[in-house]
Amino acid sequence: MRKVAGEAGNFTVEILKEPRYIDEDKCTACGTCTMYCPRPVVDWYNERLEVTRAPHIDYAQAIPASYYIDAKACLRINHETCNLCAQTCTAGAIDFSQRPRTMELNVGSIVLTPGFGRIDDDILRRFGYGVYPDVVTSLEFERLTCASGPTEGHIVRPSDEKTPKKVAFLQCIGSRDESCGNGFCSTVCCMYAIKEASVAKEHEPDLDITLFFMDIRTMGKGFDAFREEAVKKYGFNIVRARVPKVEEVDGRLVLNYVEEDGTSKSDVFDMVVLSVGLSPPEDAEIISEKTGIELNQHSFCKTTQASPLSTTVDGVYVAGAFQGPKDIPESVTQASGVAANVSELLKEARGTRAVTVSYPDEDKALMEEEPRIGVFVCHCGVNIAGVVDVKAVRDYAGSLPNVVLYEDTLYSCSQDALKHIAERIRDERLNRVVIAACSPRTHEPLFQETLRSIGLNPALIEMANIRDQCAWVHAQEPEAATEKSKDLVRMAVAKARLLEPLQQPTVDVTPCALVIGGGASGMTAALSIADQGYKVVLVEREKELGGNLRRLGCTFDGEEAKKVLNSLITDVKRHKLIEVMISCEVKNVSGYIGNFTTTVEHNGKSELINHGVIVVATGGREYKPKGYLYGDSDRVLTQLELEARLSKGKSFLRNASRVVMIQCVGSRGEDMSHCSKICCTQAVKNALKLKEARPELDVFILYGDMRTYGLYEDMYREARLKGIKFIRFDADRRPEVVKKSRGLSVKVFDKIIGEELEIPASYVVLSVGISPAANEGLSQMLKAPLTKDGFFLEAHAKLRPVEVAVDGVYICGLSHGAKGLEESIAQAKAAASKAVIPLAKGKVSVAPIVSHVDEKKCIGCGICASLCPFSAIELIKVDKKRKARTITASCKGCGICASHCPTIAISMGGFTDEAIFAQIHAFGQGLEQGINEEN
Amino acid sequence: MANMAKIVGFCCNYTSQVSKDVLEREGVIGEGVEFRRLPCTGRLEIPMLLDAFTEGAEAVFVAGCRIEGCHNKSGSLRASKRVKYAKALLEELGIDGARLEMFFTKRGSTADIVDAVKVMEDRIKS
Repeated sequence: MRKVAGEAGNFTVEILKEPRYIDEDKCTACGTCTMYCPRPVVDWYNERLEVTRAPHIDYAQAIPASYYIDAKACLRINHETCNLCAQTCTAGAIDFSQRPRTMELNVGSIVLTPGFGRIDDDILRRFGYGVYPDVVTSLEFERLTCASGPTEGHIVRPSDEKTPKKVAFLQCIGSRDESCGNGFCSTVCCMYAIKEASVAKEHEPDLDITLFFMDIRTMGKGFDAFREEAVKKYGFNIVRARVPKVEEVDGRLVLNYVEEDGTSKSDVFDMVVLSVGLSPPEDAEIISEKTGIELNQHSFCKTTQASPLSTTVDGVYVAGAFQGPKDIPESVTQASGVAANVSELLKEARGTRAVTVSYPDEDKALMEEEPRIGVFVCHCGVNIAGVVDVKAVRDYAGSLPNVVLYEDTLYSCSQDALKHIAERIRDERLNRVVIAACSPRTHEPLFQETLRSIGLNPALIEMANIRDQCAWVHAQEPEAATEKSKDLVRMAVAKARLLEPLQQPTVDVTPCALVIGGGASGMTAALSIADQGYKVVLVEREKELGGNLRRLGCTFDGEEAKKVLNSLITDVKRHKLIEVMISCEVKNVSGYIGNFTTTVEHNGKSELINHGVIVVATGGREYKPKGYLYGDSDRVLTQLELEARLSKGKSFLRNASRVVMIQCVGSRGEDMSHCSKICCTQAVKNALKLKEARPELDVFILYGDMRTYGLYEDMYREARLKGIKFIRFDADRRPEVVKKSRGLSVKVFDKIIGEELEIPASYVVLSVGISPAANEGLSQMLKAPLTKDGFFLEAHAKLRPVEVAVDGVYICGLSHGAKGLEESIAQAKAAASKAVIPLAKGKVSVAPIVSHVDEKKCIGCGICASLCPFSAIELIKVDKKRKARTITASCKGCGICASHCPTIAISMGGFTDEAIFAQIHAFGQGLEQGINEEN
Repeated sequence: MANMAKIVGFCCNYTSQVSKDVLEREGVIGEGVEFRRLPCTGRLEIPMLLDAFTEGAEAVFVAGCRIEGCHNKSGSLRASKRVKYAKALLEELGIDGARLEMFFTKRGSTADIVDAVKVMEDRIKS
């Protein structure tokens, strides 16, 4: 990005595109250029642990799936010699005439997602990195543990390539360390260290792994459970110490550290992994300069708790680690959320540049004819042809029944080849096609498109994967690979004969969203959907909107919570597209994506709402503590109760001399096993407020781990500097609140001095955490499962964090898991973004591979309906008999129902029993033939 | 005396945080080494060195800061003078003065301490 001009809705962005020297459209990613290039270059993707060649692809899944040439290393570019790659590339993709190109883009909005930067090597050098070869970064270790990495997943020491016996992980390298300029916590390292250690242990069960933590910050949803399980299963040594440096003695790495009780210890390791943190991107300043956005004190993008995705410039948004260190689920959530922001801004332009593709009508008469099969066998350059005798496979295909055309192609997926295949299909009047090439997972859609373009149903294609399953895995045995290719082709032809066209039906979507819950998340989601131009019904059980936000004093960045709340309520009430239903409860939900009908009860009266999608924002509750004299003494408060008192003034502190806060009350192993994520920051925030109100007040915070992650670490440091005292306790030895004649006292075992302290307290404040709302009823209505902690379970923890397994239902805020306001709002935006997709399309297209129930065979036992994970099978009455029926709009084609049906009444489109049996028979024919030949 | 250390090393708070158990278990140093920690090697007194021999040590060393970088300015210099004097005393008593040595080590360097142990081990053997 060179230059940005204009304003929200109309930006002009100048982009410089560096040449790749390989044409993305022609490159088939065969890898021949890398093989022939004489110039080695450092492989940055593998963290400099390996070399590659000047022309390369960073990794197999890279987008575009095309190679590029490292211009700095290339002999042709720098010295006008070599040119080997261009001569060996059979696709003719190498193009040295490419030059840097400046493009001007006219866009309505800009989204900044540059990710995070590396920790400087100079900082790592303090810990022996670059000095001792066996000190590696966690990123390098990640590559070492990866099966596609430089060592194929074997964990070896760089110095002697032997498997280490003892490995140490050092946390907080380049994080929580003001001496290197990064005062913040990088949020993700505690968890990834546990993950890397687990992966390493899976691969090398004899490894002895020690992890050195300050605080163990695994506060994400389900993370604590994962960590505890891993520590138990793999027997990790967990040491709470910050190791200042790494030394080498006799080729082994020595760490000296001080334990919690003050004793000095030494230990010796074969390998040390530095858990490096997440810096702001290296070019943060440049981005700031070009776009005009402001950065915060740590050079991350400046945002607020109430609008975490908006930068200081209108129309420019941010998502991911540039907004602050965060993990994959948070980043994916923000990315979806930012799409909602953009969609709100640009809603007028929606669909104005859409291109509609039209296809010719399908030729019904052709389908009536006997199968006319065409087989195309692909060389894939040398990828297949280098091992498999492609011509022999082609000729063999010609001998199979119903095959009227058999050809070989150099690259079947290239544009020219696709055109040729289309012509041949038309000329020969083929009605079934077999492509013997690579994986249908990557290439089937491409060939299906070709079929559609000439009026053939896309279900009439079958692929045989002779690249992965023959040429690659049997590279050393070309003859066997060729025989196996013939087997696969014969099986594919047998199945193809029985392929039937499948319809791709679409269902209309009711253009309205139902949002359940009117707290910060629900209101944010409702506003976003409405701002994107769709009707919303917002249902709230209580008498007023606001939820938990009503009880908050101020946000973590010091903004008054009331302000945020009032602006949300005003906007919601004023919005023409939002209908607010107060004191209403959802009683029943029926239907499926696009066509839900929900019964809402209001004062005993029921009302039906028709809508296309559902956003669940039912929120959470403040946990009601047991013990700690809560309820017995009016001087024992929860953090929210303290905030309520603070917002009324400081008079209640008049005679107070000391306040003791206790963390993890009810959380992390008491009543609730999960970590509530926000209580540490909330405690620090309130402790600072107390100090501000009465500087002479003595404030203690008793904690298990201080989890002031990300930039909240600044507040923790400030609290320490202001003299707030922190005492750590173990989960199995929690503090106790006792009544004394003159008030309250808190007993806690101080691990540093090794003695129990009794701290007299004017007030005891309990950090009680977040418990889930009573979600069971709604969970059953929606068929959306809950986690064992009682929160809604997302469809995929990392990649689909706001969707559930059932289509058309989205979750956000505390109903998904404990989190703060900033994360709730980002998630609400993300849910709104996902919910608008079907609304904007107006139609939901159904995947053609769905299950179909044969009513004659069905006995109405209902096994299928009970097993379906997507609630896509309903039981209906046909002539007074129970019958199962597939709701095609919800069906994902997983096949669970078909495999369990006791009367084989269910078949899967594209995978009928007949076709699969035919395929198996065809395989058996080969065996028979082989046996006959031997005899 | 049974289980008596063969080598006694006097270190200060600044020269080493080494704990011998792990180093011994891992084979980085041999058995029979004992570290005695002082707040500063300037605190060292000659009888402490002689006592170590009386208790049965075969060799004794002192690891202090580098002279130009002693945490307490002249602590390690003072120690080295006392070591020099104690060496003369040992010679008078008929013990090889080389069995006692002063080392100036880098702060917090385990490697330097381990080297010192090795030097003393070699001297016992010769």
